Amino acid sequence: MKIIKTTDPNFLIETAAVIKNGGLVIYPSDTVYILAVDPQNPTAVKKLLSFKNRWPGKAVSVAVSDIKMAQNYVKLLPNTRLLYQNLLPGPFTLVSPGLHRMASGIEAENGTLGVRIPNSSTLLSLVKNLGFPITATSANLSGRTPHYSIASFFKTLSQKKLNLIDLIVDAGQLPKNKPSTVIDATEPELKILRRGDLVAAPSQSFLSNSEKETGKIAEFLLEKILKTATFANIVLALSGDLGCGKTVFSRAVGKHLGVSDTITSPTFIIYNQYPIKYLFFKNFFHFDLYRLNTPTDFKDIDFLSHFKKHTLSCIEWPENMGVANLKWLKKNTSYFSINFEYVSPTSRRLTFSF
Amino acid sequence: MYILAIETSCDDTCGAVLHNDRILSNIISSQINLHSVYGGVVPDIAKRAHQQRLPAIVTLALKRSGKTLKDINLIAATRGPGLGIALSIGFNFAKDLAKTNHIPFVAVNHVEGHLLSVFLKNKNGLPRFTSSFPILGLTVSGGHTKIVLIKAIGNYQVVGETLDDAAGEALDKSAKLLGLGYPGGPVIERIATAGQTDFLKLPRPLQPRRILNFSFSGLKTSFYYQIKDWSATKIASCLSDLSATFQASVFEHLIRKFSLSIDKYHPASLLASGGVLANLTLRRQLRKFAKTKSLPIFFPPQKKLNTDNAAMIALVAFYRFQKDKSINDSKLDINPRLELFQEIQ
Repeated sequence: MKIIKTTDPNFLIETAAVIKNGGLVIYPSDTVYILAVDPQNPTAVKKLLSFKNRWPGKAVSVAVSDIKMAQNYVKLLPNTRLLYQNLLPGPFTLVSPGLHRMASGIEAENGTLGVRIPNSSTLLSLVKNLGFPITATSANLSGRTPHYSIASFFKTLSQKKLNLIDLIVDAGQLPKNKPSTVIDATEPELKILRRGDLVAAPSQSFLSNSEKETGKIAEFLLEKILKTATFANIVLALSGDLGCGKTVFSRAVGKHLGVSDTITSPTFIIYNQYPIKYLFFKNFFHFDLYRLNTPTDFKDIDFLSHFKKHTLSCIEWPENMGVANLKWLKKNTSYFSINFEYVSPTSRRLTFSF
Repeated sequence: MYILAIETSCDDTCGAVLHNDRILSNIISSQINLHSVYGGVVPDIAKRAHQQRLPAIVTLALKRSGKTLKDINLIAATRGPGLGIALSIGFNFAKDLAKTNHIPFVAVNHVEGHLLSVFLKNKNGLPRFTSSFPILGLTVSGGHTKIVLIKAIGNYQVVGETLDDAAGEALDKSAKLLGLGYPGGPVIERIATAGQTDFLKLPRPLQPRRILNFSFSGLKTSFYYQIKDWSATKIASCLSDLSATFQASVFEHLIRKFSLSIDKYHPASLLASGGVLANLTLRRQLRKFAKTKSLPIFFPPQKKLNTDNAAMIALVAFYRFQKDKSINDSKLDINPRLELFQEIQ
C-alpha cells in the first residue's frame, strides 16, 4: 500500500495506472473519501466488495465526467437529462436503468445504476484521464459512518482490510459535507433514496418577537440557502396566514441583496422586480400570488418565465400557484419553503425546511 | 392638439383621446361590456387580457372621440410603475402605432398621471379652476400611497409613501377577511356608512410626527387577529361596525400623515387622487380637513378618473409636449419600478 498526497504532481497519473491495473484506491471527493476501482473490471469489483463487506445485490454508485459518459452506462429518461443539467456536478447520485456494462455487483439487483458527476476537480480530472467511470462509494465499511480524513479512516481498519488497499490519495481533512443525496430517477416521479446535505437537514424552527428579529432570521436563512443552493435561481416560498411577516421577511431578503428602494407589498401588481448585484444574482423578484387563483391567471402573467438564471425570488401565497407550477419550480429552481405561524400579537414562528 | 393615450399598468386596459386637456373619450376595460365586443369571456389579469382587449379599446376610444388616427398629433403610454408584462403590451403597442403613423411618442409615469388627473376637463373645458403651486398631493390606490410635493408641473418631490401595503390594498384585504370578496374596498365603503367607527381597538401606525410615511400592514394584522376566531354569523352581525372601524383607521392614518406633511411643506393648495378617492367618505373627510387648514383641495372631476385610466396619461403627455415640442420617447423602454423624481428633467 502506498500513500500519495494530492500535492504530488504525479498523483493523477499514478492513481490512473493503479486503477487500470485493477487496484483499489482511497480517493478524495467533494463529499467524503471514496473507494475507487474500475467498475468494469470483475477482479477489482470483487476486491472492493470484500473490502466494504457489502453483500452482492446492493448497488455501488459510479462517478462519470459528464452526461455523455453516463449515457454509455445508463438509460436516461427525458427528465433525468434535465436533472443532469441542473443538479450535476454536485453532491447528488442519480439512479437510472443500467445498460449492464458493469462488472457484477455494481448495478443493483433490479439492474439500476447510481451515477454521480462529483463537484470536485480532483475526482473529475481522474475520470477524464481514465476515459471511463470509477466507483464512487464512500470509504467506510457498510453501515459505518463515512470518513473525512485518512487518519480517522485508518483507525477503523484491520490489517486484512489494509492489505486490500493499493493506493491512498491523501487530500488532508475534507470539509464536512454529507454523502451525496441519492435520487431515484428510474421513473418520471422522482424519489429521494438517501438524504445528503442538500435536501436533508430536518426542518428548523425560529421564534421571532419583532419585525427586526424576523429580518435577522431572513438574513441568516438567506446566507444558509446561498451556501447550499445548487441552481443559479433560488425561490423562497413564504407560506402562512395574513399578517405573519411574509412581506417583512421579503423586505429583509431584498435589503440583504442590496435593494435600496422601499420594498412594498406587491399584492396589487402581483410582483415587483428589483435589479441587484449580489454574487451572481442580477434580479430580485417579490411575488404575491394572493390575487391569482386559476391556472390561466398564471399563464397570463407568464409566471414561470420569470424564474431564469441569476434570479432570487420570494413568493408570498405560494399555495395559490397550483401543482403544475409547484412541480416545475421544484424541478428547475432551488426551492425552499418557509412557513410563518402566528403565535401571539408580537411573536411569530418561522419554520424552514429544505 | 389631439392626443391618444394607452394605459396598461395593471389589470385594466385603457385608451383615451384628448383635445389638449379636454377629454373626448376615455375607455376603461372593466367599465364597458367587453363580452359584446368579443362574444366571449375575456381573462381578467394582465398580459393576455391586454393583448386581446387593446386593439378594440383603442378603436373604441377613437370612435367615441369622433377622431381618426390621422387627426392624432401625439401618442402616449404608461412606462411605469406597474406590472412589467402588462406595461410592455400597452407601451409597445403605442410605440409601434406612433412609429407606423409618424406621430411623436411620449412615455408617461403612472403616478404622475394620477397626480395630475385633477386637472382633467370634460369636452366643454369644465371644471374651470386655478390652483397655485406648490401643491401637496395625496395619491391613494390599490398599488400606491404617496404624498408628493408638486412644485410645478413636472417638478415633484415624494415626501411620504407606504412602507408596506398600499391603503387600497389594506381596504381590499379587510373586505376579504370579512367575506366580502376581493377587491372589496368599494363594498366596505357601502357597508361602513351605517357603522360605528370605534368597534375594535386598532393600532395607530408610525406614531412619531417626523415620519411622513405610511404603514398599513400592522392595521390589517391587528384587525385580522381580533376577528380571526369569530364565527361567520358573528362577523355578519356586526359587518357594518367592523367595516366602518377599519376604514376609519385607514383614513385617519392617511389624513394624519397628510396633515403633518402640510405643516412641514406649507403648500398653497392640495390635491387628492387615485382609486381610493372614489370613496366619498374619504373625500368628505379630506374636504373638511382642508377647510381646517384653509387650503383649497382638488379631486379628479369625474368618478372614473380616480381609478386607472388613459386620460390622465394623455394629459401628462400634453403638458410635457407643451414644455418640449421636440419630445420623442420612442427609444425608451418600460420601467416597472419607475420613480417619480425621474420625470423631473
